[in-house]
Amino acid sequence: MNKALTLPLLCLGAALLTSCFGDEPLNTECDIEAVSIHVDDPVTVLYHEYDTLQTVSSVSDSVGFLARRKAKITTLPLTLKVTEGATPYILTEGGEWQQFQNGSAVDFSEERTQRFKVVSEDKAWSREYKICVRIDRESTEDMLVLSFDFNGNYALSDPSKTVDDKSVYFVWTETDETSVTELFGSEPWKNGNPGYKLSKSSAKPFEYPTIPVIGGGPDSTDCVKMETLDAGPFGKMVNILIASGSLFDGYFDVTNALKDARKATLFGLPFKHKPVNFKVWMKCEMGDTFQDKNGTPVAGVVDEPDAYVVVYRNQDEQGNQVQLNGDDVLSSPYIIGKARLPHHYNADGSDKLSSDPIHGVTKEWQLFDMDVEYTQEPDEEILANNGYNMIVGFSSSWQGAYFEGAIGSKLWIDNIVVTCE
Amino acid sequence: MTSMRYIALGLLLSLCLTASAGDTDKYEKWGPTSQGGGGIIVRLGYTIGGTTPIPLPSEIRSINAFQPNGGATIGADVYKMLSRRWGFSVGWHFVYEGFHTSADVKNYKMSLTQEGNTMSGYFTGCDITNVELWGLTMPVLATVRVSPRWNISAGPFFTVFVSESFKGQVYDNKEGVGYLRVDSPVGEKVNIDRSSPATYDFSDNLRNWTAGLEFAFDWKATRHMNVFALLDWSLSDIFEPDFPTVEFKLYPIYATVGLAYRY
Repeated sequence: MNKALTLPLLCLGAALLTSCFGDEPLNTECDIEAVSIHVDDPVTVLYHEYDTLQTVSSVSDSVGFLARRKAKITTLPLTLKVTEGATPYILTEGGEWQQFQNGSAVDFSEERTQRFKVVSEDKAWSREYKICVRIDRESTEDMLVLSFDFNGNYALSDPSKTVDDKSVYFVWTETDETSVTELFGSEPWKNGNPGYKLSKSSAKPFEYPTIPVIGGGPDSTDCVKMETLDAGPFGKMVNILIASGSLFDGYFDVTNALKDARKATLFGLPFKHKPVNFKVWMKCEMGDTFQDKNGTPVAGVVDEPDAYVVVYRNQDEQGNQVQLNGDDVLSSPYIIGKARLPHHYNADGSDKLSSDPIHGVTKEWQLFDMDVEYTQEPDEEILANNGYNMIVGFSSSWQGAYFEGAIGSKLWIDNIVVTCE
Repeated sequence: MTSMRYIALGLLLSLCLTASAGDTDKYEKWGPTSQGGGGIIVRLGYTIGGTTPIPLPSEIRSINAFQPNGGATIGADVYKMLSRRWGFSVGWHFVYEGFHTSADVKNYKMSLTQEGNTMSGYFTGCDITNVELWGLTMPVLATVRVSPRWNISAGPFFTVFVSESFKGQVYDNKEGVGYLRVDSPVGEKVNIDRSSPATYDFSDNLRNWTAGLEFAFDWKATRHMNVFALLDWSLSDIFEPDFPTVEFKLYPIYATVGLAYRY
């Protein structure tokens, strides 16, 4: 009897005691995390030393290197950093996927786009990528006046979806002046919509912070509307309570949008001219209750919109890349020129919240005309060598990067003109 | 792992003691032996354990920490003997069970739903879980006196929970890896770190009952005092059947050690 009982009990104990971890599952991811090309003298072929290496966002499927106009690009040794255990393939001219060995020479002549595929360690998943080396366009007179009217240059992030679908948002696919498209490379306008999608998957395209308004501009054509919204439940989970509407040139790193939203918002792209004047049509309606990052109403403070052009040096003294983010977009020591809506500032130059804003944007459309003021004159040679970045940025809540603002604050913009020397 | 050691100790102790049983003359001295003889046992014990999938899925790579969180049991069993060696008991135990775990996971399928919004995908990183369960357990056990001073009982139990909480956080592990692939392994990669962890609360998705098997080991230290160990092994998932977030079933498994007074 004793034995009959104790045996199952022993088994029971053994089951509890055993650390029964199974074999580690094979990796399922298949990303190209970074791409580097080898050139003997990066600065004469590309623009900066660091331009040879590009990290690839998890949502990106194309990688472009920008070569100087005079650079002669033929085949270049290419190295891919892929997910551990994953296997990269290159599409041959014969149309076959051939396993790619890092360091192999790849033909990038005549701006040829090469296609790659990465297969996960468990072989169940794959992703395709395009990589090319683009030759920089010639700088011409017509690039000196940049205008953006936001007419019809937007589309849904997933073209197969409609405005009644969830988890899809508007992207401003390209600027509407051909010359500007080329100046900004292939990068479209950016905003926080991809982050909002993570936080509020139930939102439909017109329920996002940054949306187009069809026929809503001062000239009765389309314009852009930004609105500060409740960030949604998953934002709350990581202490992000509000999502302000935004629009800027640069990058939005959705991978770090919940981890560190300010650092995930990367402002500015290389630009070869000196902006001197910034004009934009704007109107706004500010939300009733300004709240701090904890969601606590702050008495005696009125929310304000923001609009600015910033010019900054994109390389530090050691040759490292400088890319401004939500923390230093308006305060970095690398900034040399700025045009911004008027606000109150503290003695140390930091933003000062107040009950009597001086930005002058009202509920009626008005044209705002601001000169870019320089603390340091841009160096001609650095300018010609893509050494400065320009930011054109807007927000429906000027402290939105710090998750402070009033839910319901709205800013409409249209017909931007940036004039350069 | 502390709880595991206690359970192991209890089991080993029981084995050693059962081996020395056998003096039939002493059965009478250490309790009722006749049909209809019986009494009440009042129990007070320290409860430790946790809620675990069985077996551990391969997505769980390591357990970094396991801490029982101050569990307790207070209750009473009414027992009746049917013969010299066999009997049965029915009990009512108020139990408080709690624990904290930290586990490293890889490609852990999760789906969080809040206010009609869903975030689902595959998480790799560190998962922290804190569970507290308050309930009333009713065991119905068959008892065998394996020696004059030593009883072993086993049978089904049913627990009704009056208060439950299942909360946690996900963030990066010691290597700094913590991310969700949204929807699929090729979806957006979203980093989550400990400075702003993603918190979850599945308390509302817990079943308010559980059922399983209880094993009880009683050693009669004195005429009225028992030293005992209980093992409550649930056979029902802690979550409601239609709860999609946690893909595998989690079973509460708790052990109690303590003292009992025998009337």
